[in-house]
Amino acid sequence: MEHTYQYAWIIPFLPLTVTMSIGFGLILIPKATKNIRRIWVFPSIFLLSIAMGFSANLSIQQINGSFIYQYLWSWTIDIDFSLEFGYLIDPLTSIMSILITTVGVMILIYSDNYMSHDQGYLRFFAYMSFSNTSMLGLVTSSNLIQIHIFWELVGMCSYLLIGFWFTRPIAASACQKAFVTNRVGDFGLLLGILGLYWITGSLEFRDLFEIANNLIHNNGVSSLFATLCASLLFVGAVAKSAQFPLHVWLPDAMEGPTPISALIHAATMVAAGIFLVARLIPLFIDIPYIMNFISLLGVITVLLGATFSLAQRDIKRSLAYSTMSQLGYIMLALGIGSYRAALFHLITHAYSKALLFLGSGSIIHSMEPIVGYSPEKSQNMVLMGGLTRYVPITRTTFLLGTLSLCGIPPLACFWSKDEILNDSWLYSPIFAIIPYFTIGLTAFYMFRVYLLTFDGYLRVYFQNHSSTKNNLFYSISLWGKEAPKTFNKNLLLSTMNNKVYFFSKDTYKIIDNDKIRYFSTYFGNKYTSTYPHESDNTMLFPLLVLVLFTLFVGSIGISFDQEVMDFDILSKWLTPSPNLLHPNSNYSVNWYEFFTNSIFSVSIAIFGLFIAYILYGSVYSFFQNLDLINSFVKGSPKRIILDQIKSVIYNWSYNRGYIDIFYTRVLVMGIRRLTELTQFFDRHIIDGITNGVGLTSSLIGEGIRYMGGGRISSYLFLYFFYVSIFLLFFLFIGINPIIIQVFMG
Amino acid sequence: MTSYFPWLTILVVLPIFAGSSIFFFPHRGNKMFRWYTICICLLELLLTTYAFCYHFQLDDPLIQLEEDYKWIDIFDFHWRLGIDGLSIGPILLTGFITTLATLAAWPVTRNSRLFYFLMLAMYSGQIGSFSSRDLLLFFIMWELELIPVYLLLSMWGGKKRLYSATKFILYTAGGSIFLLIGVLGMGLYGSNEPTLDFERLTNQSYPVALEIILYFGFFIAYAVKSPIIPLHTWLPNTHGEAHYSTCMLLAGILLKMGAYGLIRINMELLPHAHSIFSPWLVIVGTMQIIYAALISLGQRNFKKRIAYSSVSHMGFTIIGIGSITDMGLNGAILQILSHGFIGAALFFLAGTSCDRIRLVYLDEMGGISIPMPKIFTMFSSFSMASLALPGMSGFVAESVVFFGIITSPKYLLMPKILITFVMAIGVILTPIYLLSMSRQMFYGYKLFNVPHSNFLDSGPRELFVSICIFLPVIGIGIYPDFVLSLSVDRVQTILSNYFYR
Repeated sequence: MEHTYQYAWIIPFLPLTVTMSIGFGLILIPKATKNIRRIWVFPSIFLLSIAMGFSANLSIQQINGSFIYQYLWSWTIDIDFSLEFGYLIDPLTSIMSILITTVGVMILIYSDNYMSHDQGYLRFFAYMSFSNTSMLGLVTSSNLIQIHIFWELVGMCSYLLIGFWFTRPIAASACQKAFVTNRVGDFGLLLGILGLYWITGSLEFRDLFEIANNLIHNNGVSSLFATLCASLLFVGAVAKSAQFPLHVWLPDAMEGPTPISALIHAATMVAAGIFLVARLIPLFIDIPYIMNFISLLGVITVLLGATFSLAQRDIKRSLAYSTMSQLGYIMLALGIGSYRAALFHLITHAYSKALLFLGSGSIIHSMEPIVGYSPEKSQNMVLMGGLTRYVPITRTTFLLGTLSLCGIPPLACFWSKDEILNDSWLYSPIFAIIPYFTIGLTAFYMFRVYLLTFDGYLRVYFQNHSSTKNNLFYSISLWGKEAPKTFNKNLLLSTMNNKVYFFSKDTYKIIDNDKIRYFSTYFGNKYTSTYPHESDNTMLFPLLVLVLFTLFVGSIGISFDQEVMDFDILSKWLTPSPNLLHPNSNYSVNWYEFFTNSIFSVSIAIFGLFIAYILYGSVYSFFQNLDLINSFVKGSPKRIILDQIKSVIYNWSYNRGYIDIFYTRVLVMGIRRLTELTQFFDRHIIDGITNGVGLTSSLIGEGIRYMGGGRISSYLFLYFFYVSIFLLFFLFIGINPIIIQVFMG
Repeated sequence: MTSYFPWLTILVVLPIFAGSSIFFFPHRGNKMFRWYTICICLLELLLTTYAFCYHFQLDDPLIQLEEDYKWIDIFDFHWRLGIDGLSIGPILLTGFITTLATLAAWPVTRNSRLFYFLMLAMYSGQIGSFSSRDLLLFFIMWELELIPVYLLLSMWGGKKRLYSATKFILYTAGGSIFLLIGVLGMGLYGSNEPTLDFERLTNQSYPVALEIILYFGFFIAYAVKSPIIPLHTWLPNTHGEAHYSTCMLLAGILLKMGAYGLIRINMELLPHAHSIFSPWLVIVGTMQIIYAALISLGQRNFKKRIAYSSVSHMGFTIIGIGSITDMGLNGAILQILSHGFIGAALFFLAGTSCDRIRLVYLDEMGGISIPMPKIFTMFSSFSMASLALPGMSGFVAESVVFFGIITSPKYLLMPKILITFVMAIGVILTPIYLLSMSRQMFYGYKLFNVPHSNFLDSGPRELFVSICIFLPVIGIGIYPDFVLSLSVDRVQTILSNYFYR
């Protein structure tokens, strides 16, 4: 038993070997490596499975025996500063590592087929394994500096994977945006780490918590400074987990391949911020302000994410905003101190959302041969519809994922979400209104996605007859071409799209299709039929496994025994970690109370489902309900006010709350202007002085050279010039005393 | 003390002598000169490594491998060499980078005899200035490697090479005047006979006003070299115009001489003035990080952008030197080495890709990752290294500097918070300019208007050069003790001056 703990350090390094061997292979012997490209999948899946086995073993031990294990070794030896590397195995680590490895293995299997025709197949697996490495390293790390290291490595993986299809200008700017936004978080994290180091003199979690708590209780450190450091640390989590002010990168990150969106931007990497907060909860719990702050940001994010998701056309973007909103729930749970509910929801959400993303990948894959390979088209829900007939298995899995996310019992997310809602109600009823309201929104937007995708008829062939002309632009635009600027809302969006590129003014020319297709990811014309096809078995298998998870993972949090409290697996898992629920939240597992609570939330969710069904369902004319606008169009004059409200909501949602535009206008433009100013200063003042000095000295030199050029006339001229000056001078000096003498007598 | 074999003299003299014999060779094509120079460089590097491995004790903070020959008796001028933990790193860096730079300079065919001679002459000058233990010798060596740079720049540079070369020589020669004043002032002060020996000068004390003046004189010389704002404007021009092998030497080694001199002379010999000036150093360094990063964002010429990025990175060195802590100074030395590798590699990659596409403006480029995936990979790796990604040397150096400034007892809480905050903003700006540069160059699918553009990916030679630089970057990033162990003891001795006086 000890042995597993001793060798636990191997977990993060297992996937690394794949990355390194692929990397070396690609650089040194590219031909041979590419010839056996499909074979590389096996080692990567195999090694990650070993890591999964390890972490499963660790988790079982944590559930049964549960003690915390830590092992350290020194990294830099300095006199007064020693960095140590190590690993820490505790319930949180084991939960996170089992989550990462299970989802990771499923997605690796999935992406073998998904990426099989891509030119960057090997690169993809190298990046993927590296991101698994760094994520596993992050969750096993035992001190803050190590967290920071893996934190940035994870960010780099995300950068590389978002920019995976680097020939797409949109992907190029999206990956940069993601990296820079995350760097803002890293900035906070770094400052927070430095501040805590300054306060406590330690970076090791357990020492740090002990010292910091002592200091805070004895007023050894000003509470303002402690709060500042803690909130700076929290900024890191905000950026990584796409919470409110720094969430802008997540929807853009959907430019990456879909398996990546499932793994990194839904299940694992965005959970890193949650992980950090969960890890630092013992520190935060003593600073009440920060806990309030966390829960406040969580609530804001819950609402914003849900509202932004209402009117997205891109299926992956819609799911991305949903992720943001669900992460907001988890943050909220952490902020109100219900640690258990947060982790529970983290687990259930990760599986459900991975399922949904993989399902959307399957949909995209089936749509691509029909509508084209541009994400503007293949991910556009406007062109989908009626896919039930063509992709039945995907449809079933997607429906289950949707229902789970909506919180319909007995699927996974229901149990965890209900717990969060309960806890937030107990924490403060006013606070709980928004999460409850958002349940309805969640159900609405998720079901909207489902209905638009699977319900009705395939709209690709009907788009020309569509009553909304604005949809036409989807059919012409390819490769991120700007939308025609006739449509008002699109104008707003397209101006934003122009400015999303940081510091560049280049507009990409549209070139022939054939040339682009060579560079683009080319999936090959495997499917010649004009109707979508169900994906291959290797893609469906992970979907089905994740369905199983979605169905049954909720059971780890349900206590089946009524007498003994906290008898469920999750509680046993988490026992050694601090039980942070407030005393009053020790709600007994009373089935009656549980029912009354859940009936309320479930009814809200069902209400949301119902509304979505009315608006988008095929019972009504599917043609005119392509998106929300149409429902305004058919509104009668009586409902003008209602329509106005609706259009305000639509605009708000479609333009993502104007936050991106605001950032572009203020931050990007501000930095650009500052840059221009500094550059002007540098070129014209600092360099100007230098050049000016150079110029004047050379002018003087030229003048002297001209004078000393050996011409007798200029010598004579100079001679007489100086003589005349001397004479004048002498005269004045000489005359003055004479005059004075005359007057003085 | 085991042997009195004059290792250092041989190391200093070998390249320039071997280089001057290049002129006596019969002209049989450039190939011979190339191989000859590479062999000399490798021989020198091997000799250096051998000497340092077997005749240098790491745990001894004193000067080792000392040599002392009387040269000019009248003013006590000696040929005095010696190395310690501080200079061993830069010397090894010099050997490494110069060897790779000669390898990178293979495409140079015009007047290659002179070119390789100048490279080797520079090699001598650099090793000489890193290992000299005599003030005047230091000055002479310092000047010795200016002339090769000037010639390299003015003969093998780009379009505006004469302007840049003139600017370079005027700036550095202007700085050298102050250096000379400082050297003479320090040497002639006090006792009846002039003293130029570092050992004896360490124990000398000056009146405060004189010390400040001397400090300032030296500081200007190093500020030009390092560069420190506002004396940095020669650098972007020079780097923008020079051939990339010259750029590697400039960015990799020459800039480091300023920081080295700052530690070696200003910190060691003038501790009082240094502790007076150090807050200013920290402030200037912090401003430099932000300022250069902002300018770098606005550059269209991508060589200039990299040049400004190296100005920005040198800010960390200056802050580390100004923090007067163990960690800060170690971080500064680490940053010297780390940026030596990364800067050289970035310039190398920029130069090679620039030669291929024949464009220098970022907004004209785009989409070259498709024809040149290897350059793309290497360039992204080095930009990651440059923006201080963990696991690479830049991260270790910068975070050690951060910890140094945080733990420094010299500063109060508020200034510390402020300075750390501003430095951390630099951490946000760095990825913006580096990543947008790599995005503009490599991402996208833009096709060029250049006719007959058959871009070749980097060949084995270029790949070899970049991998060779990449290995130490990763090595330092993963196990920094490797380099820190060289300098830790020496740094402690230097800093002990500040606490026991």
